[in-house]
Amino acid sequence: MKLYSLSVLYKGAPKVVLLKAAYDVSSFSFFQRSSVQEFMTFTSQLIVERSAPGSRASVKEQEYLCHVYVRSDSLAGVVIADSEYPSRVAFTLLEKVLDEFSKEVERIQWPVGSPATIEYEALDAYLSKYQNPREADPMTKVQAELDETKIILVSRRGPCVRPHSLRRGLGLCMLQKLLGYLPRGLRTLPERCDFGANSRRDSAEWLRLSPP
Amino acid sequence: MAETSEEVAVLVQRVVKDITNAFRRNPHIDEIGLIPCPEARYNRSPIVLVENKLGLESWCVKFLLPHVHSKLLLYRTRKQWLNQDELIDVTCTLLLLNPDFTTAWNVRKELILSGTLNPIKDLYLGKLALTKFPKSPETWIHRRWVLQQLIQQTCWPSCVTKGVSGTVPAERRRQLIQEEMEVCREAAGRYPSNYNAWSHRIWVLQNLARLDVQILLGELSSTKRWASMHVSDHSGFHYRQFLLKSLISQTVVDSSTVEQNSLRSEPAPVLPNAEAAAASAAEPRINPPHLLEEEVEFTTDLIDSYPGHETLWCHRRHVFYLQHHLNSRFHHHGTPLPSADNPGGTASALHLTAAGPPTSQTMDVDGPNDPSKQGYSQETKRLKRTPISDSLGLEMEHRFIDQVLSTCRNVEQAKYANAYRKWLVTLSQ
Repeated sequence: MKLYSLSVLYKGAPKVVLLKAAYDVSSFSFFQRSSVQEFMTFTSQLIVERSAPGSRASVKEQEYLCHVYVRSDSLAGVVIADSEYPSRVAFTLLEKVLDEFSKEVERIQWPVGSPATIEYEALDAYLSKYQNPREADPMTKVQAELDETKIILVSRRGPCVRPHSLRRGLGLCMLQKLLGYLPRGLRTLPERCDFGANSRRDSAEWLRLSPP
Repeated sequence: MAETSEEVAVLVQRVVKDITNAFRRNPHIDEIGLIPCPEARYNRSPIVLVENKLGLESWCVKFLLPHVHSKLLLYRTRKQWLNQDELIDVTCTLLLLNPDFTTAWNVRKELILSGTLNPIKDLYLGKLALTKFPKSPETWIHRRWVLQQLIQQTCWPSCVTKGVSGTVPAERRRQLIQEEMEVCREAAGRYPSNYNAWSHRIWVLQNLARLDVQILLGELSSTKRWASMHVSDHSGFHYRQFLLKSLISQTVVDSSTVEQNSLRSEPAPVLPNAEAAAASAAEPRINPPHLLEEEVEFTTDLIDSYPGHETLWCHRRHVFYLQHHLNSRFHHHGTPLPSADNPGGTASALHLTAAGPPTSQTMDVDGPNDPSKQGYSQETKRLKRTPISDSLGLEMEHRFIDQVLSTCRNVEQAKYANAYRKWLVTLSQ
């Protein structure tokens, strides 16, 4: 299981801005590394562009899984990993990094920053540490008991085929809030939320259930 | 841009020479690669050497490969002569571009047999080719041929002069084994579930290491971390199953031999445990039940940490089967198999079931006969017929499944847990 990149971005009104990124492309063949890195930068930006504020998603692109978390204040993080890496740990990492970033880097810098101007050096260390999920996140086993609510889009022709998809449907945060109301036995969310007709039906189901 | 055949010939000659020179300049090249480069930069060699990595710009491949390929075939069909140095250079270039070109490897076999080419060079060339083509079957096949040549060469002088294998060949052998383990490990990392790499690794243990117990134990511990970081790599876990099986079969053989001897000599009580048997028969001592228990713990840990990986559940089945198989084998030799954790109750249960006749049951798992399931191995059939003697182990497994199902939220994990339960149920029928 491997992590390939960890990036912090800002979801600006016209454009997504890359603020800082760390990469580990050592497992790729030497002459591919620079183009792989470029691909990851581009994909991260594209995914954030297509994601709604206040959402989490895992997007499958070939054999990579891109985990994206866009906060409601438009600060966003993307982790690109392989399909073995547990997504739960990836989201824990994103939450942690964005939290720290927002404390260390002033908000006014976010819309206009770039990797050269932003002073936040912890990404490389995090990327390296989290290569081994169990060492980095000792709560891994406990967390496995909690809800695995993830939304996976399988892209067929390229990254994010349906530009409107990620905006429709319920964001993860809202789903988690709803889950708090559900008795334990009913907490089986479908793993794949197809953001077409199905998701509308699903969200209707959740809304019908009332808190105890 | 259109190249005349003369220009192409000159270009190819230059490139082949550049490759040879690159290796001469830097004997530590450890990786090859293709550089995506659609257009030739004016008058620059397509060979790029950076930090021990050898790259070839992609524009030249369409000229290089067909030309060098036909050159070799012309030699092979005796239409054009190539001297030995030329052959070495041409085959080297060819194999770096396409290591599955068997003819090129065969030419090199002839050069090795005639003494012109050092077999170590082929091991090096193969290692390089595997950095770009980690699965290449022909590379692995040729590698095994070279290793066999090397073992025979090493054995031969010592057999003739001393009659026993000396210390130098043993050290040489150890180095070869070490190197092969490293090559396999790298190739396995470059491609998921790299069956060819792991099969080669097993072959090396069987033929070079001769299933030496120390080496097997070393491999078991050194691959543990790798397996925990590649939880979907079936071949990696299959390797661990092979190691455990080999270790067990060696212990059982030893203990049964020792036990037969002791029974013949005196009507002494049966040997208390496998460990003592193994220790008295051969060093180092291995405790298969303990190894299997550790493996079960390892699998449990991984299943809990990384839900939804079928490989881990398959591995658990294998380990459980080995535990059960081990118990029944010790049965047949009349030795009950206690371990520190098993209460006395289990030992008596083992005895009882050994006394009863084996019941034969139908082999089907899910219902009416399915012709696609005819492919069960003999071992699986035998397993399904023998009543399960390790009732405590079975209970523990069911408890484990219950625990997983009650806490997991991953749909795949639940599916695999239920499939495992079903499999266990059929075992006890």
